[in-house]
Amino acid sequence: MPTLSRSEWYDLTRDMNWTPRYAREDDIWPEAQSRSFGIPASAWWTWDEPYKLTYREYVHNQVDKDAGVYAVNSVIARSKLFEGLDPGWRSAIVAHYGAIAIGEYLAALGESRMGRFGRAAAWRNMATFGTLDETRHGQIQAYFPYSALAKEPRLDWAHKTFHTNEWGAIAARSLFDDMFTANDAVSTAIQLTFTFETGFTNLQFLGMAADAMKVGDVDFSSLISSIQTDEARHAQQGEPTMKVLIDNGRADVAQRMIDHMFWRSWHIFALLTGLSMDYYTPLEYRQHSFKEFMHEWIIKQFLDQFRDLGLEAPWYWEEHFLPELDWYHHAIHLGVWFWRPTVWWNPDAGISPEERDWLEEKYPGWNDTFGRNWDVIIDNVRSGHIEATLPQTFPMVCNICQIPICTPSGHRAGKLQSPAPLVVDLDGRRYNFCSEPCKWIFETNTERFRGHLGIVDRFLSGLIQPATLEGALAYMGLSPEEMGTDADEYRWAFAAAGVEAR
Amino acid sequence: MALFPLQGVVEGDFVVLLVPVDDGDSMADVGAKIRSHVVGVRVPEEPGASWALRVNGSVVDDRITVRDLGLAPLDLVEVVRR
Repeated sequence: MPTLSRSEWYDLTRDMNWTPRYAREDDIWPEAQSRSFGIPASAWWTWDEPYKLTYREYVHNQVDKDAGVYAVNSVIARSKLFEGLDPGWRSAIVAHYGAIAIGEYLAALGESRMGRFGRAAAWRNMATFGTLDETRHGQIQAYFPYSALAKEPRLDWAHKTFHTNEWGAIAARSLFDDMFTANDAVSTAIQLTFTFETGFTNLQFLGMAADAMKVGDVDFSSLISSIQTDEARHAQQGEPTMKVLIDNGRADVAQRMIDHMFWRSWHIFALLTGLSMDYYTPLEYRQHSFKEFMHEWIIKQFLDQFRDLGLEAPWYWEEHFLPELDWYHHAIHLGVWFWRPTVWWNPDAGISPEERDWLEEKYPGWNDTFGRNWDVIIDNVRSGHIEATLPQTFPMVCNICQIPICTPSGHRAGKLQSPAPLVVDLDGRRYNFCSEPCKWIFETNTERFRGHLGIVDRFLSGLIQPATLEGALAYMGLSPEEMGTDADEYRWAFAAAGVEAR
Repeated sequence: MALFPLQGVVEGDFVVLLVPVDDGDSMADVGAKIRSHVVGVRVPEEPGASWALRVNGSVVDDRITVRDLGLAPLDLVEVVRR
């Protein structure tokens, strides 16, 4: 047992850096696994994490966390609490588990790459804890839905999603592969731990935790609050990595990487959290709108962090990012609801008269734009023409973010000059994009992305057989029992006029 | 006559669609195919409404065929009210 206090021995045992003599530095840290950006080894050794802990402390803390959260889960599993949850809320968590659980396991691979190829011993230490964290997150977010399978069979998608070609799975894998699974250690520290974890995961994990507690879903709330305490610790790998880059004249690298991954993270979170916060969470429990939460957690806090590091807000901040807060996730929600057979959860339309009043208050002009599309859908539901509320073709899908191209919505909202997609023609193939930043990501990393086939590319190239909607649904791994239907059985369509649902 | 993919947008809709047509289709046929996914589905039907087709910002003659207009696969066709 150590008799010294931790602060007296920590630095000594942590700083295990040395100049290799029996192997070449480039062989131990190949550029493909750990880009140095021309910065010498000894400069990397200045890497210093703000929050220090030992393995003994780590185990002690994590045992306590797991004991608490698994205890809550085992009690809740024996209750009827899950069955009593609002159907829209249940959809939010079925979507969450599918999109996130296996992604956490993949993040363990990204952390372990930093644990081996990080260019400082202190960093490799923190990344080893990060690997354990992400393994925990993969396991716990697979176990919780597993324990509720008898109550909600489609929680099977907590494990299944990433093994399918469902379009949301393609989008999530595309993001996470770019961010860490197929990324070198230095880039991963900036793009995963700083850009994604410090910024965006707070949205989903703390924002949703607050909503979950209001809704009465103590199981989900305690789970994701606990997960986020780990996140706050291993996310700290980003800043010291960027400090090394900035102190050695490579702020340009940090800036470009943040610009790239902030945009991709924004779009995935608009899809996952935007829908949950503004449409699936029951109205009486909504703490804030998605836009309000973005302003509080991203725009205010993250911008401060950029500036403290001497970096600037991404180049697209004013012209593309801020305007999208008013329309982008509303378009994605309408699309996910309309193309509901293509997702593994039941989308909640979230447009009862009271909810539309709330949407209009939070997003002035909503009824004159998206509301008009929903009015036509309501008329079709009321007249019994459900088939007219279901898709007969594909939307076009962005070749970077893999999310449907909703430029017409931005144009209609007065935020874009044209409804047209952005296009790059390269060697006989047309690539389509939803936004200038997605196009910029492609054009500045063409070799990395040009070979990928999005879901529409696969359809057009004959990879999806039969080449029909039924064939596409089967290709996406969705049986009729798994395809999404409206969460409320269309009751909202009859609410305004007090008409009886048929 | 061959299957030909286009991108389609109808004024008032929210998303860009994949619309398979035939390269022998007239642009009037193309307009009808695009509208079938949107009008009465997410944009209200207006009896007697008149629609024009725009390619690269210019209105096109709807009697001309896809092939003769020289459209490329995944070109965008906008359907707008006259």
